Amino acid sequence: MPSSRQSIYLIGDFMLVEEFGEMCHAKDVRILYRLNSKNSQKPLPAYFKQQSSPPRNASIVVELTNSDSTVKKKNLHLLEKSIPRTTPILSSSVTTTVTEQSTWLKHSDRLVGISGFPTLISQKLCEIAPSIHTKRETITKASEFFFTLGKQVAIVQDRIGMVMPRILCMLINEAVFALMENIASPRDIDTAMKLGTNYPSGPIEWADRIGVKNVCDVLMALQGDLHEERYRISPLLQVMATGQQWWHT
Amino acid sequence: MKTIGIVGAGIMGRGIAYLAALSGFDILLHDLSEDILKQAMQRISSDLRKGVEKGKITSQQASEVSSKLHPRTSLDDFKECEIVIEAIIESLEIKKETFKKLDEMCPPQTILATNTSSLSVTSIASSVGEPTRVVGMHFFNPPYVMKLVEVVHGHQTSERTLQRTVELARQLGRTPVVVKDTPGFIVNRIARPFYGEALRLLGEGVASVEDIDRIVKLEGGFTMGPFELMDLIGTDVNLAVTKSIYERTFGEPRYRPHIIQQTMVDAGLWGRKTKRGFYTYDS
Ligand SMILES: NC(=O)c1ccc[n+]([C@@H]2O[C@H](COP(=O)([O-])OP(=O)(O)OC[C@H]3O[C@@H](n4cnc5c(N)ncnc54)[C@H](O)[C@@H]3O)[C@@H](O)[C@H]2O)c1
Repeated sequence: MPSSRQSIYLIGDFMLVEEFGEMCHAKDVRILYRLNSKNSQKPLPAYFKQQSSPPRNASIVVELTNSDSTVKKKNLHLLEKSIPRTTPILSSSVTTTVTEQSTWLKHSDRLVGISGFPTLISQKLCEIAPSIHTKRETITKASEFFFTLGKQVAIVQDRIGMVMPRILCMLINEAVFALMENIASPRDIDTAMKLGTNYPSGPIEWADRIGVKNVCDVLMALQGDLHEERYRISPLLQVMATGQQWWHT
Repeated sequence: MKTIGIVGAGIMGRGIAYLAALSGFDILLHDLSEDILKQAMQRISSDLRKGVEKGKITSQQASEVSSKLHPRTSLDDFKECEIVIEAIIESLEIKKETFKKLDEMCPPQTILATNTSSLSVTSIASSVGEPTRVVGMHFFNPPYVMKLVEVVHGHQTSERTLQRTVELARQLGRTPVVVKDTPGFIVNRIARPFYGEALRLLGEGVASVEDIDRIVKLEGGFTMGPFELMDLIGTDVNLAVTKSIYERTFGEPRYRPHIIQQTMVDAGLWGRKTKRGFYTYDS
């Protein structure tokens, strides 16, 4: 752990900022943040300090927007103009590849993608995806940062959905297809996957914690990227996301 | 219910017999020959001995279980059973034949259940005069360890049959879930993308076998990674399940097998049972 307290600047979607921030706080990293939407779902704890732009001495800045690429672009521009040229920018690259994001920046060698996704970002490992421009030093700094948080890293290729968010969203999509076809109840689907194949959580309850809209965003990006029918979103999932409704299991 | 009939004394039939006898039921266990039945009884005895050694069951329980198991080379006595669970070879033709025989043998109130993993319960039921009494009872291997039972609602299964089967699963200490008769039921179907996406990620060169497994375990919180699990299940079995669901849904793209699976099977890399699969296993 660093002796002088490290500061991190988080900008992006509420759920991810909250989850990432809690993880940093647990390791005594100071959290400064800015949310995409002014009216956050619930108040964040007092150790989250709101700040409209990053301090010049922030050791690392993290962009955590999956929901809207226009907003993400704006956020990255704000980061780029507020921090020194060498400060690493970690950016969620689940719905937009880091390579695409790097075309938005002047100095893209300090930009690197991470698997920022609700319920996963606070787990024991973070995926890191460099773009073709990312400098080795940026990857090293990003990895070291995750090590100080007690996490492992895995370097993966820059691809929509990365590894875990892609597998997880496809599992949820399949479960919701099954629900739509009315083959079993949401509770029985969750029970079956936990007892029959030892999943850590049922896919329906998991989707509930992630937020259906966040699942849809990844699937939509995958379909846009790969153009395969296999990535078609279950119509029921789509309706649930649009109507902001879900089962209370 | 007091007496349960089990047809097929292979891996699953034996396991279900063990579980049901341990839960206090009398069991009639049928297979093709005296020899097969003798072997099955020996296996169960050795399982019981191991159970006692590991302190999972008492020696009293073990001897009770032994006294409750009755091997039978004919189906004649199966008329006493309130439920018969079929766990024979996974062939639609042979299962239909067996159900026809059971239909003739057992009184109308006897429930006829199949443990099939991949066949249509509805199709098996079509060989029976009164298909309302046919149901799926899908146990997981090994049945006395795995808590789940998928109770499969065939197209014509009656509510009574379904409810009695759910009740029986509970009496066996299992957790029943009810599912419509559709390819893969719940578990085998919803698990498809766990393997399918992992194979595509590997095929696209996004990450290695080892890294994907590490990511799924540490970032996803799963007990096993997809490649470790395919090795455990057998890459051949996993491909067969995928193919079966793909074919039964007339080629739904979400279930399309991946060429890597076929290559592994062709190469004889079937996983742990051949000591080589996505990983190599010594000893
Ligand atoms: N092995 C698993 O993991 C698993 C899990 C769930 C369900 N199942 C299902 O359970 C069933 C049995 O699978 P298994 O793995 O126990 O197979 P197995 O090969 O170990 O056993 C099948 C037994 O059925 C007997 N048999 C074959 N034809 C017969 C007939 N006409 N009459 C009586 N007995 C006959 C065979 O002699 C053999 O002992 C299959 O339908 C399979 O899909 C298997």
